[in-house]
Amino acid sequence: MMRLPAFDYRVPREVGEAVSLLAEYGEDAKVLAGGTDLLPSMKQGLFTPKVLVSLRGMAELRGIRDAEGGGLRVGAATTLRDVARDPRVLALYPALADACSTVATHIIQGTGTLGGNVLLDTRCTYYNQSAFWRTALGFCLKKGGDVCHVARTSPTCMATASADTVPALILMGANARLVGAAGERVVPVESLYTDDGRDWNTLRPGELLTEVLLPPPAPGSAILHRKMRRRQAIDYGFLLAAVRVDGDLAGGLTDARVVVSCVGPRPVVTPLGDLVAGRPLTAELAEEIAHAAARPAAPLTTHGVMPSYRKKMIRVTVRRALDTLRGEPSAAV
Amino acid sequence: MRQILRLTVNGEAAESLVAPHQSLADFLREDLGLTGTKHGCDLGDCGACTVLVDGEPRLSCITLALECEGREVTTIEGVARDGRVHPVQEAFDRCVAAQCGYCTPGLVLSCVALLRDNPSPSEAQIRAGLSGNICRCTGYTKIMDAVREAAVELAGQAPSPAEGSRRD
Ligand SMILES: Cc1cc2nc3c(=O)[nH]c(=O)nc-3n(C[C@H](O)[C@H](O)[C@H](O)COP(=O)(O)OP(=O)(O)OC[C@H]3O[C@@H](n4cnc5c(N)ncnc54)[C@H](O)[C@@H]3O)c2cc1C
Ligand code: FES
Ligand code: FES
Repeated sequence: MMRLPAFDYRVPREVGEAVSLLAEYGEDAKVLAGGTDLLPSMKQGLFTPKVLVSLRGMAELRGIRDAEGGGLRVGAATTLRDVARDPRVLALYPALADACSTVATHIIQGTGTLGGNVLLDTRCTYYNQSAFWRTALGFCLKKGGDVCHVARTSPTCMATASADTVPALILMGANARLVGAAGERVVPVESLYTDDGRDWNTLRPGELLTEVLLPPPAPGSAILHRKMRRRQAIDYGFLLAAVRVDGDLAGGLTDARVVVSCVGPRPVVTPLGDLVAGRPLTAELAEEIAHAAARPAAPLTTHGVMPSYRKKMIRVTVRRALDTLRGEPSAAV
Repeated sequence: MRQILRLTVNGEAAESLVAPHQSLADFLREDLGLTGTKHGCDLGDCGACTVLVDGEPRLSCITLALECEGREVTTIEGVARDGRVHPVQEAFDRCVAAQCGYCTPGLVLSCVALLRDNPSPSEAQIRAGLSGNICRCTGYTKIMDAVREAAVELAGQAPSPAEGSRRD
């Protein structure tokens, strides 16, 4: 049986109180939302916080509200299931609803939160293991060691961004509201991530994510979420991709963007405005977009699935998503 | 430091001093002696520890007991009604849907929640509803049979309070 290490447990009733607790305990504190990422990791000895600050006492962090001027404000502690089932989310942001319902299993979707997903730790087959396993091999850069087992000469950690909702959130232009003892700021979700899997997010010490802000969808824009995993339930992805096209599919596009994740510490964003401008979404253009999206991604041995296969499947996955938009059965192989 | 936890377990109020790092599974098994809830992977992968919290399936191995303050927990010990095992349990028995039985309490609870929300699920809906519970013995065929039989059985009956109320 795997037990949790001991810690103290606090349940603040409002954001101000939560933020002062986080400031008071500093590095010793961790935020507990649904716990579906944090608690398994603590059982594996990856974190040993002295205090967990639970979000359960703050009703203001749960629920989905209409934003002034259109769009939605999703409380960070809203469960993935509540996001996926919200009629407004389904109508305005179907790719986000879709992404929430590919996380783990329906049981975990009822516990895990959108905020916890946005701040899901980076993952790697050499890191997400028991202390016993990691001791046997020798610790890695991300936890206690001085070498990356994936890229032995790398000065930085290669653990991968793995959150299902993030590629779609980036393409939607979603923002994050962060509240700290020094005040609050609103930043694009895209700017939350870095190139080093150890120090992988840009939150300042003690900052709490309170809301994910979804701007009104741009007219004439479509976003699709795609995930590849070994089993169609439970498993994290070995590849995540989200595709956005703007404009008239038959008459001529104005813009396109693709986000690929599970291939490195941050999601890889490829802007394709120049490639697509004025062109209709033909099979030929779909293939060009798919190639362009695959080019910058360099999957490594972070997953138990071959990097060469994952690389190839980026092109195939993006192509298939675009073929779905075109209403054509995909010939991508 | 230990803290007071007040909650309802299988319809009865419980009050207990628990350590913050005690999982709901530890609390149910060790403090309340409800050993029907199983430890499988202990990491959120397998579903053996599934219980219902406010009527919804939840993995008790990765839920802190203290997070369940004020909530209503239903374990496998609490699904029987009027001294009779639940129709889902009867169907599991009739269809021989348990071999080693380790996954069974979790599966039964997932199934109880599934059939409460969707009394006549399609094949795909049953698969989705049970997708968080791994069984290493049966190959799932007999589990599927049991869910279908239980659905038919339950269709003829009124809902019971033991299945938990939903608080959305
Ligand atoms: C078996 C299994 C399979 C899984 N599969 C997937 C999958 O396929 N895809 C996927 O994306 N995830 C997966 N997960 C991970 C996890 O369930 C989800 O990412 C979930 O959304 C995390 O949310 P949470 O509320 O449980 O986060 P928690 O575990 O509570 O928190 C995650 C991290 O974010 C921090 N945090 C949380 N909320 C805040 C906040 N408001 N402000 C500041 N910091 C915060 C925590 O301190 C912690 O470091 C899986 C987990 C398990 C156990
Ligand atoms: S024991 Fe809880 S999910 Fe496996
Ligand atoms: S009956 Fe043995 S694991 Fe399901």
